[in-house]
Amino acid sequence: MSETTSLPQIPTSLASLRESFAGQSSSTRALLLMAPLIAFELLVFVIPFLILLRISFAEPSSDLIYEPGSWSVEAYAAVIDNILALELLWSVISYSFLLGVVVTIVTVVLALFYAYAIWRSTGLVKTLLLFSVVLPLLTTLVIRTYAFRPLLSPTGTFNELLLSVGLLSEPIQFVPNTVGAVIGQVYIVLPYAILAIYSVLATMDWHVVEAARDLGASRPRSVAEVVVPQAMPGIIVAAVISFAWSVGAYAAPGLLSENITFALHVEELLLTDLRYPTAAALSVIMLVLMLAAISIMFAVLNRFGGDFDLA
Amino acid sequence: MTSTLHRETLENAAFRAGYGALLVFMLLPLLVVVVTSFSASGRVAFPPDSFSFVWYVDFFDSTQWLDAFTNSIVIGVGTALLATLLGVLGAFGQELETDSVVGSVVAPVVLIPLLIPPVILGITLLLYFNEVGLRGSYASIILAHTLWATPLVYFVMRSVFSRFDWQQLDAAHDLGAGPVRSFVHVVLPNVKHGIFVGALLAFIISLQEFVMALFLSTPGTETIPVLAWTEIRQALDPMVSVVSTFLILISVGAIIVAAIATNLEWVSKQLS
Amino acid sequence: MSEITLHELEKQYGETTAVEDVSVEIEDGELLCLLGPSGSGKSTTLRMIAGLETPTSGEISINGDDVTDDPAYERTTSTVFQDWALFPHKTVRENVEFGLKMRGVPADEREQRAESMLERVQMTGYGEDDPTNLSGGQKQRVALARSLAVNPDVLLLDEPLSNLDKRLREDMQIELREIHEDLDETFVHVTHDQDEAFTLADRIGIMDQGQLVQVGDPDEVYENPKNQFIESFLGDTNFVDARVTRTTDDAVYVDTDLGTELVLPTDTEPAVDEGTALTLSLRPEILSIDQPSADGGTAADDASEQQLATDGSSRTAVTGTVENVIYRGSTVRYSADIDGTSMFAERTDATTGTLSAGEQIRLEWNGADVLAFREDGTRVSL
Repeated sequence: MSETTSLPQIPTSLASLRESFAGQSSSTRALLLMAPLIAFELLVFVIPFLILLRISFAEPSSDLIYEPGSWSVEAYAAVIDNILALELLWSVISYSFLLGVVVTIVTVVLALFYAYAIWRSTGLVKTLLLFSVVLPLLTTLVIRTYAFRPLLSPTGTFNELLLSVGLLSEPIQFVPNTVGAVIGQVYIVLPYAILAIYSVLATMDWHVVEAARDLGASRPRSVAEVVVPQAMPGIIVAAVISFAWSVGAYAAPGLLSENITFALHVEELLLTDLRYPTAAALSVIMLVLMLAAISIMFAVLNRFGGDFDLA
Repeated sequence: MTSTLHRETLENAAFRAGYGALLVFMLLPLLVVVVTSFSASGRVAFPPDSFSFVWYVDFFDSTQWLDAFTNSIVIGVGTALLATLLGVLGAFGQELETDSVVGSVVAPVVLIPLLIPPVILGITLLLYFNEVGLRGSYASIILAHTLWATPLVYFVMRSVFSRFDWQQLDAAHDLGAGPVRSFVHVVLPNVKHGIFVGALLAFIISLQEFVMALFLSTPGTETIPVLAWTEIRQALDPMVSVVSTFLILISVGAIIVAAIATNLEWVSKQLS
Repeated sequence: MSEITLHELEKQYGETTAVEDVSVEIEDGELLCLLGPSGSGKSTTLRMIAGLETPTSGEISINGDDVTDDPAYERTTSTVFQDWALFPHKTVRENVEFGLKMRGVPADEREQRAESMLERVQMTGYGEDDPTNLSGGQKQRVALARSLAVNPDVLLLDEPLSNLDKRLREDMQIELREIHEDLDETFVHVTHDQDEAFTLADRIGIMDQGQLVQVGDPDEVYENPKNQFIESFLGDTNFVDARVTRTTDDAVYVDTDLGTELVLPTDTEPAVDEGTALTLSLRPEILSIDQPSADGGTAADDASEQQLATDGSSRTAVTGTVENVIYRGSTVRYSADIDGTSMFAERTDATTGTLSAGEQIRLEWNGADVLAFREDGTRVSL
């Protein structure tokens, strides 16, 4: 409703603004205002990616990092061969995707639950719950991962607690282990996922859920029938962010697990081995694979959630 | 009847226990960091065996950490300024021309960097800054952080501008205020909180960002998270907790300031 | 059989009491309107009947079964919400089928039932539409169909018409009335609009500050309001401050700001003492309007003369100046200044004896039609 009432105001305000910028059309002014942003995105985002693409097609060189001006698909061939031969890169990539999938599922379920709790709460509890989301969000992921070391290590708080109450007879190896990496990575992406879902829930009408209960839907059923479909745009954003960042996870697996992920491997290629074309080619391939996975995810989730587009 | 009552109560209890557990999960790691910073021994354990301020004393004696702190502040302020300038101007331009082709391309392009894993951005920018000779400069890290901070400022400002009643501007013109005066007296008072919160967010994002900084920094431009990371990988001592406590305190302060300037719910909506 | 019994129902939110000591029996097949201003607790009461709120204390039974602790989804009630609460991601048909789906009714049967419900609310052919694209009136109909589809024992309506414009609201009132007569189900309808309540209700329950002040047939509530709040809420009236000067066996004499002593005839020994402050209510419909007789002078003085007739009526008249005249379509409203006090009266026939501002006006009434209230709002039985 507010959209339809505010729409007619825009043309009149534009007209008056037009007068104040005498002699310039509104699109020129808008363009001038947006120009710095456009230039920035071109220089620091679009061109760098074109250069990444260019380097991925350069010929590797033993002493110059890569051969300037050369064209070659050698780096791609090497990467793809390695993957298809189920060698190191295959395990690196499959582990990265596995981590991404597991983290995404855990994160989305927890985020939906927590966002629902925030939505339903009021007053001080709501403030506390929101604070508990925003604070980790604004804390560096180094700290967020580091904190799990004393908690999860074999001599850490959890194990000691479980041992002392007699639930365990010997400590569980959470870290370094995949379990630790998953916990750490979930902690990293959870705040973003919660806020993405909460921002959609916050616009939802609680009466709709009441109507479902009134018509005979039990509590879990009303969530499945009414809350989830309506929250789908937020769930999709949460899933995409969780997935993209977890496949490319660096800190959590680096600190809490011994398995090598794509991010850790590519860092080694780049900073230790100085194999730029290979690193670039691997990055491009990962980006393509991730985009494909995200497209599939979109298609699947959209079937449950109805219409949704990124804009 | 009693069984359904029982089930409802049970469901309620389970629901509360569920989000209570998640609340602990969200806050416990940060609590661990703060508490271990007061540890007296060199071992990071939670809860610590004994408490002291020795690691705080060490922090203020360490030129390495204080240098990293300076680097972080320089880069954070630079990012906040640049991202705010780009974001505010861009959002204002978009507001003037809501249905231009350029505008409809800009919004997704600004957003995409947030959806790309920071590692890939880090690699890409490392290769790029290598090519253009910016590697090892403050500018390289500021530009990288701006890539992440700008979308936040931009979307905060979009939402601020869209809530602004542009008829007020007509009213100001009608009452005889010129373009500059009407902007200063009518638009600015309405959007200054948004600009402030946007700049604050940009600063915090930069202060806390780690992966891109790791790829782009050199010993002279190491930020706090990068130095913390290298320290953790070598040895786990409470010094990192001390540094982390400072970072957490800065974030808490920023949230409180932003919450006073607007309100927490609004801030969290902008972050999503 | 679907009678509802509310027994000492109470709902508190922290410190504030939303509903206090509400007890009422709603008969099978009855259409009860809960009428009251916003915040009077009427919606909370309805939501407790629906099971959407849990009472702090008290009991609710439907058909003799105590349902106080039953969740909404296990009650045989169905609610039409103020904002209709249609599921935006489901089609109109899916909305109407929802309750049946929850009860495990097979798909083809659901579809048939949904179709006949849509027909009943005159929405045939809208089944595949997106409810968010419908107009307010259409949404209202779909919400009604959705609630009726589950064949509830009790239909609860939470101000469902308040978001519609006046014309549509009046049409829907009549339609609701017809549906109620067709179905013979128990309806509880919440509204803040007294016209709506009078149009729809078999009985009206008036709520104020969490309490159910009076329940009764519409004419009974209107003519015999229990307190001053109800009198003021049910329609426009003239309140005039008064003080008892003396009482007799068959009348109370009061002094008023109208510059004259009024006589209120009584049937019983009046329960007021000399000196008691009262508020009198003179409804516009008891006031008859005249022009004072042309010779003027004495008419103004005679106007306040009155005598107590043997049949218990008492004609009283006052004279004043017309302040303004408002044409309100079928009626004309005259505001008059009577010795410094403002009063208004209405007349349906605008043709005879039109008065204009500044002219003299004479208002006359039967003292037996005047209602009197004490300072605490309670009614003085006369």
